[in-house]
Amino acid sequence: MGKFNDTLSKYRTEKNLIIIFIISFAILGMLRPSQFLTLSNISSMAYQMPEFGIFTLGMMAIIMTGGINLSIVTTGTFIAIISALIMTSEFAVNSPILGIIVGLIVMIVMAIVTGCLNGAFVAYIGVPALLGTLGTSSLFQGIGLNVTKGGAISGLPSQFMAIGNNDILGIPIPMIIYIVVIIFSHYFLMRSVFGVHLHMVGSNPRASEFSGIDIKKVIMKAFIYSAFMSALAGMVMTARYNSAKVDYGSSYMMQAVTAAVLGGTDISGGTGSVAGVVIAVAIIQVVTTGLNIIGLDRNLVDISIGLILIVVLTLRHFSEVSKNKKLIEKRRASS
Amino acid sequence: MKKILSILLTLVMVLTMVAACGGGDTPAEEEAPAEEAGEAAEDAADDAEEVADDAEEAEAGAEDGTFKIGIMPKLMGIPYFESTGEGAIQAGEELGVEVIYNGPTKADAAEQVKMLEDWINSGVDAIAVAPNDSAAMEPVLQKAKDAGIIVLDWDTPTESDLVDASVRQIDNQTLGERLFDNLVKVMGKEEGNYAIVTGGLSAANLNTWIDFGTEYAAEAYPGLNLVTEKIPSDEIQQEAYTKTLDLVKAYPELEGIIGYSTVAPLGVAQAIRELGKQDEIAVVGTATEEDSQDFLSDGSLDIATLWDPARLGYLTVGVAKALLEGQTLEDGMEIEGFGPIELQGDNIIIMGPPDDYVAE
Repeated sequence: MGKFNDTLSKYRTEKNLIIIFIISFAILGMLRPSQFLTLSNISSMAYQMPEFGIFTLGMMAIIMTGGINLSIVTTGTFIAIISALIMTSEFAVNSPILGIIVGLIVMIVMAIVTGCLNGAFVAYIGVPALLGTLGTSSLFQGIGLNVTKGGAISGLPSQFMAIGNNDILGIPIPMIIYIVVIIFSHYFLMRSVFGVHLHMVGSNPRASEFSGIDIKKVIMKAFIYSAFMSALAGMVMTARYNSAKVDYGSSYMMQAVTAAVLGGTDISGGTGSVAGVVIAVAIIQVVTTGLNIIGLDRNLVDISIGLILIVVLTLRHFSEVSKNKKLIEKRRASS
Repeated sequence: MKKILSILLTLVMVLTMVAACGGGDTPAEEEAPAEEAGEAAEDAADDAEEVADDAEEAEAGAEDGTFKIGIMPKLMGIPYFESTGEGAIQAGEELGVEVIYNGPTKADAAEQVKMLEDWINSGVDAIAVAPNDSAAMEPVLQKAKDAGIIVLDWDTPTESDLVDASVRQIDNQTLGERLFDNLVKVMGKEEGNYAIVTGGLSAANLNTWIDFGTEYAAEAYPGLNLVTEKIPSDEIQQEAYTKTLDLVKAYPELEGIIGYSTVAPLGVAQAIRELGKQDEIAVVGTATEEDSQDFLSDGSLDIATLWDPARLGYLTVGVAKALLEGQTLEDGMEIEGFGPIELQGDNIIIMGPPDDYVAE
């Protein structure tokens, strides 16, 4: 039992988030049982969540370094536009499978290039992440606009559309991609040597430097990871909407910061949890969908998510304060 | 434990309050239980279950056979789409259908698709969307069709084969020609020098109007002389104002200006007022009735031309209801509460000729 309690207190953030998730789900289910608790609604949420979740994981990794990535969505749409151009080109029309493969390879290469660009600006040139990524964001958006002239690229091969709209054994393909990403991210950001370095750099860059960690390399890697997530989310979006356009998903930008922070990521860096972020994304998804079904004005939906965030942050703050107080008292008693 | 409990209670409270607001969206007779729900949420959070029951009652009331129609604008919170929403909701009350008017808070096609998917699951009977991007709508419109939902587009066409009807505010050609007719009317003669100030050079709808207009003018009013290429104003009133000041300086013989986009005519009028040339230069253009009143009053803007957004919202709901009742669209058919409509092709509905606004 003692060990169980230890585990519980270690995963306190996650535990509280799960409680919130269950309550939200239960309330919305009670309010609209005939519409919310249907297979088709749960499946449509499973289609909607992955793109947002993957963007949020990309955001979380950068917030953990103490920075922010304002280019997550534009990186995704920019890469999606270029891959879509390849997949709709004449050569891909003749051999769609080969076209998709080339498109995916280009996607991977571009993820590395854009990630390195962001990373180089922030880690090696020393531009604050906020400004560096704001710059690259406008850059990617500008190129994307120039290529597409503001329109959408559509008419992708039907095999590619399957990625966004089909399922395997009843599980939507975007969801399968999302689950793989979650497992990978958990090991990469939480369990690997890099993950430990990421936590250290975020909480105290100078101390980590003196302990022999190559900070620049860590930040660089974090940005490449982030760009990969953007590219994947962009790909899922393109497949789901059967087209690529510069401003698809523009509302995910701030939502991703919200979800990352709700999921227990410290905005000043150092702490973060993949599990927490995944649950936070699920909470936002359930609340948004539920309130949409009820027919609530979209502005009020944003307000309710804002309220949940504020309540959680306030509670987290007070629980932190009381924990510190207890620790101080304990030390005083023992000395 | 206390903390968990407090999170729990706060959340219950927030959600019940929110649910109470949602109840208000259903027709008027169900407002009483929804209001109760709001009070209950304030009183004590542990009444949640009772509130849920109330909301359920409200929902059951809505399912008495009335049609549920979802109207989605490009985004919420801008004056134009607020007006269309007022019209749509008024139509819902007058025609006895349940209207949900909701859309994203940013002009994002991805958000629109997600909200449409949620609507399909919530069991709406008809969907009308003003797409931020037509290509992105294709898969979700297909899903709606598969679910047996009537699909419309309004304000901006999706150009999709999937829509049952496409509701458009005006005929582009009519508006393009009307602006030139207005210019000639104000100038009082069929010849003279004029200029065009437009919103943006790449705005497709504005360019269509300009092209229809200039083609028409070449035939109908050959005496009209466009002094320079169309001048862009980036959809900013201030920009239109400074460009007009330069324009008048460069072409002192100018007799008329046409402003395209809802802000350009205002900027042009502002410049004309400052120069005191209300009587020498005729100004016409596309601007809303409300915005143009001030400039119309002293003649710095002579005629503003646009459509009534509220009527567009009303018409969309009317057409959706007609389709749900199984009526087939015909040219000149009567839409309840609106009047006769003009049909182009099989399913393109034109709201009617644009309205001219002059000084009151």
